[in-house]
Amino acid sequence: MTTTLQNSGQTVFIVDDDDSICEALSNLLESVGIAAQSYPSAESFADSWERGSAGCLLLDARLPGMSGVEFQEQMHASGIDLPIIFMTAHGDMPMVRNVMKAGAVEFLIKPFQKEELLHAVDQAFALDKTRRADEEVLQSIRTRIDSLTDREREVMRLVTTGLLNKQVAAELNLSEITVKLHRRRVMEKMEADSLADLVKMCERFRSLDH
Amino acid sequence: MEFLFKPFGIAVAFVIVALIWTFPLQHVISYPFVFLFFGAVMGTAWFGGTIAGFIAVALSSLLVTFLFIPPLYSFSVAKGSESFLTAFILCAIAISFLSAARKRSENAIREARDQLEEKVHERTAELEQSNRDIQESERQLRLLTEAIPQQIWRADASGKIEYCNQHLVDYLGIPAREACDDNFFRILHPEDESIFRHGWQAALVTGANFEIEARIRNRAGIFRWFLVRSIPQRTEDGKIARWYGIHIDIEEQHKAQQSLARAHEEQVRIAHTLSMAEMAASIAHELNQPLTAVMTHAYACREWLHANPVNVDRASATADKIVQESTRAGEVIKRVRALFRNEPQVRQKADLGVLIRDTARLLRDEAIRRVISTHLFIAEDLPRIEIDPVQVQQVLINLAMNAMEAMASGQPPLELSIRAEKKSEREVFVSVEDRGPGIPSETAARIFDPFFTTKAEGIGMGLAICRSIVEAHDGRIWAQSLPGGGTAVQFTLRNRQ
Repeated sequence: MTTTLQNSGQTVFIVDDDDSICEALSNLLESVGIAAQSYPSAESFADSWERGSAGCLLLDARLPGMSGVEFQEQMHASGIDLPIIFMTAHGDMPMVRNVMKAGAVEFLIKPFQKEELLHAVDQAFALDKTRRADEEVLQSIRTRIDSLTDREREVMRLVTTGLLNKQVAAELNLSEITVKLHRRRVMEKMEADSLADLVKMCERFRSLDH
Repeated sequence: MEFLFKPFGIAVAFVIVALIWTFPLQHVISYPFVFLFFGAVMGTAWFGGTIAGFIAVALSSLLVTFLFIPPLYSFSVAKGSESFLTAFILCAIAISFLSAARKRSENAIREARDQLEEKVHERTAELEQSNRDIQESERQLRLLTEAIPQQIWRADASGKIEYCNQHLVDYLGIPAREACDDNFFRILHPEDESIFRHGWQAALVTGANFEIEARIRNRAGIFRWFLVRSIPQRTEDGKIARWYGIHIDIEEQHKAQQSLARAHEEQVRIAHTLSMAEMAASIAHELNQPLTAVMTHAYACREWLHANPVNVDRASATADKIVQESTRAGEVIKRVRALFRNEPQVRQKADLGVLIRDTARLLRDEAIRRVISTHLFIAEDLPRIEIDPVQVQQVLINLAMNAMEAMASGQPPLELSIRAEKKSEREVFVSVEDRGPGIPSETAARIFDPFFTTKAEGIGMGLAICRSIVEAHDGRIWAQSLPGGGTAVQFTLRNRQ
């Protein structure tokens, strides 16, 4: 299991106010070949966060300053989109339920077994990978859409809803020839092999871009 | 002059009648016959009074002088007849007096009799009125006893119930006749009956007011709490004539009181548990951090050793970390110990006997509530030793509370005993004993360990704290079962010198 995690370019970002915990966790993660970085508080992590960093957060639920639970609520606003593994010395049920509902991967009660931790990291990394891949696809589609002219974007919108060239022409008050021309340009720019491909692309973009 | 008419008339009438009868009779009787005039005077005086009598005397004298004393038909009196006339007049006057006096006394008697009769009438009327008043006030009283929304009864001097008001009858649901008599005790809750009976019988003997709270069964068989109060009514010579009793329903107050007591107890328990739980949680957290680090490092260490090639440097560094974190955990435990042991102690020479009595007083309410009797056996020759009174009292309270809790489900008699004895001039021995189920010897050895508990809601710090306090006083603490059942927790305290 651990071998699959190695050299994936992903990092576990450990946030715990207790140095010795941070040190022990990074030691263990490194021993199984996982990169780890430690931060004493949620604020210090947010400050040094770089967009595009891959991996997951290993977050203590109770921290001085902003607590882990509060940080989870604010992460989206800060543009940080990492899966979270919570850990705490005393987990009360309502808190566990709340953070899990808010999308946490796992809730670990200190002290925890190695397998519990690595399994959670495994899950979190996989989730991070999927999200990142989705993000990449989204990004490339967005770039292609951005290269379209306004008119071409209009034509794509109408074509992908299933209208025939003739109907699109009527809708946009253009000649059928012109529509055909625009349509070819759209297919080229969007790197779509077929209309079905274009429709799929548009749907994916709509579903991921919130 | 008017008052003379009636006597005058009566006198004239009588004298004329005498005169009419005298004329024919004087021919039968030769000697001047004038005795009928005495009759006239007598009659006049009788009916007309003294004045009329005198008028009759005067008229008779004139007529007798004129008509019957020689010379006849003249007012002059012949020689030899003066004595006769004088005798006549004197006799007439005397008769008149006698008759009038007799008449007066007769009148007086009649008058007295009339007055008496009148008085009797008046008194009869008064009596009737007062009788009606009494009946009315009795009726009102009865109405009042029925109107009061409480149960009222009356008993004779021996305590036998004679009367129950409607409320009582309705509440009990049995006929008034049955509610009376000795059956009275049967309406009481079995637990209250004996104390009620004793109290009531004592009141009957001493004549003191009787007051008790007891549960009384209603017609549905449900018991409610009542305040039963009875006062004796005494005759003028001080003997008890009867008893009046009232039952005041205090069920609601009782419920409120009970829930208040429960709430209070709960509050104390929660406060106690909370502070202990908070402390335990904080200790747990303190220990958890290094423990987590140790465990995590240990896993890492194994990984470094299993790596290919073996990373000896990292494994060794990790092992150092494990030692470091374990030391940190040990320090946490030392700090916790210090928390219990090295509190600044205020040592002073103190009388342990006074301290024990104070403690028993503090726990008095709790003992009463649990129906536990407390016995103190404090030796007279107890030496005064240097102790921290606050801490030692904490030990005593803790042990006494444990002892009471141990008897929570026990059968009476529930007894808490605290003994204090002298061991030497500088050492005392204290034993806190209960009548609970006792303690198995294997448990006895462990109960002073931290976090050891036999209670569902306990966290097992109470006796551990006790031990650290006793040890700080150079003493020892231990527990053992008593031969007759129950547990004794015993400790010694020694003067540090």
